[in-house]
Amino acid sequence: MSVFSRRQLLSATALVAFSSSALARNFSGRLPWRPNEAYPPSVVRPGGWYFLTADEVATLDAIVSRLIPGDDLSPSGKDAGCTVFIDRQLAGPYGTYEWLYMQGPFSSKPLPTQGIQSPLVPQQQYRQGLAALAAYCRQNFGGKTFEQLAPEEQDKLLQGMEKGEVQLPGLAAPNLTTTMLFNLLLQNTMEGFFADPIYGGNKDMCGWRMIGFPGVRYDFRDVLNNPGKPYTKPPVSIMGRPDWNGAPT
Amino acid sequence: MRGAILATALTVAALAAGPVRAEPDNYTESERGRYLTILGDCMACHIGPDGQSLAGGHLLETPFGKISVPNITPDDETGIGRWTADDFDQAMRHGVRPDGTHLYPAFPYTSFTKMSRADNDAIFAYLRTRPAVEHRVDRDTLPFPFNIRLLMAGWNWLNFTPGEFQPDPQRSAEYNRGAYLVEGPAHCGLCHTPRNLIGGDQTSAHLEGGALQGWFAPNITADKRLGIGDWSEAEIIAYLRTGHTERSAASGPMAEVVAYSTSQMTEADLKAIAVYLRERGGAGSAAPAPVPAEDSRMRAGAAIYDDTCAACHVGDGSGATGMFPRLANNQLILQDDPTGILRVVLQGSQSVATPQAPTAPSMPSFSWRLTDQQVADVATFIRNSWGNAAPAVSAEQVRKMRELTAERPD
Repeated sequence: MSVFSRRQLLSATALVAFSSSALARNFSGRLPWRPNEAYPPSVVRPGGWYFLTADEVATLDAIVSRLIPGDDLSPSGKDAGCTVFIDRQLAGPYGTYEWLYMQGPFSSKPLPTQGIQSPLVPQQQYRQGLAALAAYCRQNFGGKTFEQLAPEEQDKLLQGMEKGEVQLPGLAAPNLTTTMLFNLLLQNTMEGFFADPIYGGNKDMCGWRMIGFPGVRYDFRDVLNNPGKPYTKPPVSIMGRPDWNGAPT
Repeated sequence: MRGAILATALTVAALAAGPVRAEPDNYTESERGRYLTILGDCMACHIGPDGQSLAGGHLLETPFGKISVPNITPDDETGIGRWTADDFDQAMRHGVRPDGTHLYPAFPYTSFTKMSRADNDAIFAYLRTRPAVEHRVDRDTLPFPFNIRLLMAGWNWLNFTPGEFQPDPQRSAEYNRGAYLVEGPAHCGLCHTPRNLIGGDQTSAHLEGGALQGWFAPNITADKRLGIGDWSEAEIIAYLRTGHTERSAASGPMAEVVAYSTSQMTEADLKAIAVYLRERGGAGSAAPAPVPAEDSRMRAGAAIYDDTCAACHVGDGSGATGMFPRLANNQLILQDDPTGILRVVLQGSQSVATPQAPTAPSMPSFSWRLTDQQVADVATFIRNSWGNAAPAVSAEQVRKMRELTAERPD
C-alpha cells in the first residue's frame, strides 16, 4: 500500500488538531496567595511578670546590668529590657523546651558534640540556679542577696561562675553546673539585648543602634550604589520605628 | 478505506463532545457568537459552579442586595432552552424576559441595547451549541422592595435609553468599532462610570471612574492625570492583552475581565478600544496642590515607604517593569477616591495571570503591621510624591476600608 494520500494526511491532521485540546493540558503557575494572609508575630505586652518571682527579677536585673553595664554606648541590660525578655521567653515555648525531645537517656559526661544533656528545661534551670545563687550569697556575704553586693563583688562572683572557680551549692552535672548556669544567663541576656524589640528587650532598638545593625530592612540597592559613603539609615523593628508615627528618631 | 475510518472517528469524536444543537451550516455564526461572548465577558458573571459552563448561580453584590446570576445554558427547565432568538434579543436590548418580567440592570442591557440584532442572534446561536447544564438558580435573592421587578419599569424610564449603536460618520471605522465595543458588548461603563443613588449611570460622568464591590474602577477617559490620556495606544493594548504594564497590574474585578475577556480579544479590537478611549476626550477633576513634603503626615509616610514599600517599588516610585507597578504617575493611585491604594496596602493583591504574562506577581497584606494612621500616611505620601498629587487620606477612611476588607476579602 502506498504512503498516505494528501486527503488522508489532512484528515488525520484535523483529527489530531481537534482532539489535542482534550489531550494537551496547560499549566499556568500562579503562586499561592490569599487576601489578608499574614502570620504576624505576637508582640510582648509590657507590665507584670509571667514566670519570674519578685526576688528572681531583682537578682536578674542586677546580673544583666553587670553583663551589659549602662555606659555611653548603650543603656544597661536592665534598662534595655533583658529581664522582661527572659521572663517572656521562660513563660513561652522556650521555657519548657517545647520543641525538644526531653526523655532520657542523658549523658553525665557529654561530649560537646552531644549538645544539651540536661533533663532540666530552662524554667527549672532558672528556678534552681537562681535559688542556688541566693543560697551561695547568703552563706558567703553575710546574708546579703546578689543584688545587694557591690558591683565589684558581683563582677568577681560572675567571673568565678564563668571560669568554674565558684561552685554554687546543689548544682551538679548533668542537670546544671554553675558554669552552665552562667552560660545560660549570658546567652539569654545577649538575646534579649539584640532580639527584635517586639520580644521585650532591645528597648528602642538600643542594641541595634549600638552596633549599627539595620534591623528588618532587606533592600540595600540605593546604599550599594553609593560605595564608600556611611550608612545613615536608622534601624527598623518588625513593628516599625518611631518615625512611622511622625515622631523624629 | 482509511479515509472512511477517519471520518467515522471524527464523527464519533464530535458526538462524544456532548449534545450539540447547532446545525452544521451555522457554525460560522455560532463561532462569531462565541467571540462575542468573550467581548461581552459573559463568563465573569454567568460562570457556573463547574467553573466552565455559563450555568450561573454566582451572587453579584450590588448596593441593593445580592443578585443571583441566571443559568444561560440551553437547559429547558433551568436555563434558556425554551427561549427563541426573539426572546434573547428582547432580554439583551430591553432587559425583559419572555414572560414579560424585568431583568435587573446588574445585567447590563443598558449597554447591550447598543448591540445589533445580528450580534445577538450570533450569541444566541452559540449559546445553543453549548451543553445544557441542569442548574436551578434562585432568582429572587433581593430584599424588599427591590424584589418587585416591576420597579424596574420606572428605573428604566429614569436611567435607560434603548437604541442600537449609531456610528459617527465623522470618525474612523476603527474609532466606531472601539465605541461599539466599549459602550456595547464590553459594557466598560458598568464599573467605570459612577452610579447615581438608584444605581443608574451618572451619564454626566461617563467612564470617569466608579466605586463598586469595595473596589474602585478608575477613570478611563482620556484625562491625562486620572484617565488613560497619558497611556500610549500600545500601553492600553498591552494592559488589556496581558494585564500588565510598567505602571499597572490588573487585579480584583479587572483581573477577571482581563482573564475571561480582553486577553482573548483580537489585536484589531484591542486597538479599536484604545483608539476610541484615547480619542473620545477626557474628563476628570483638576489636580490639587500636592501635600507638601514637610507635612508631618508626609514625613511619617516617607519613613513607612522607605522601610516597607521601597524594596520593591523603589525609592523613587519607579517600580520594576513586569513585576512591581510604578507608583509615580500611576492612575489607580491618583483617583480622588483612595479605595484602590488602601485596598492593596491592607489586604495585598495578586495580579492576573495571562498566557503572555503568566507570573501573576503578588503583594503581601500589610494590615497587621500598620495602624490606620500609618496606612493613611503612607498612602498620602505615595499620592503626593514624585510628581503625584491627590487628596490626603484620613485614618477614618482606612478604618472603614479595613473593616470592609476583613469581612469581605475578595
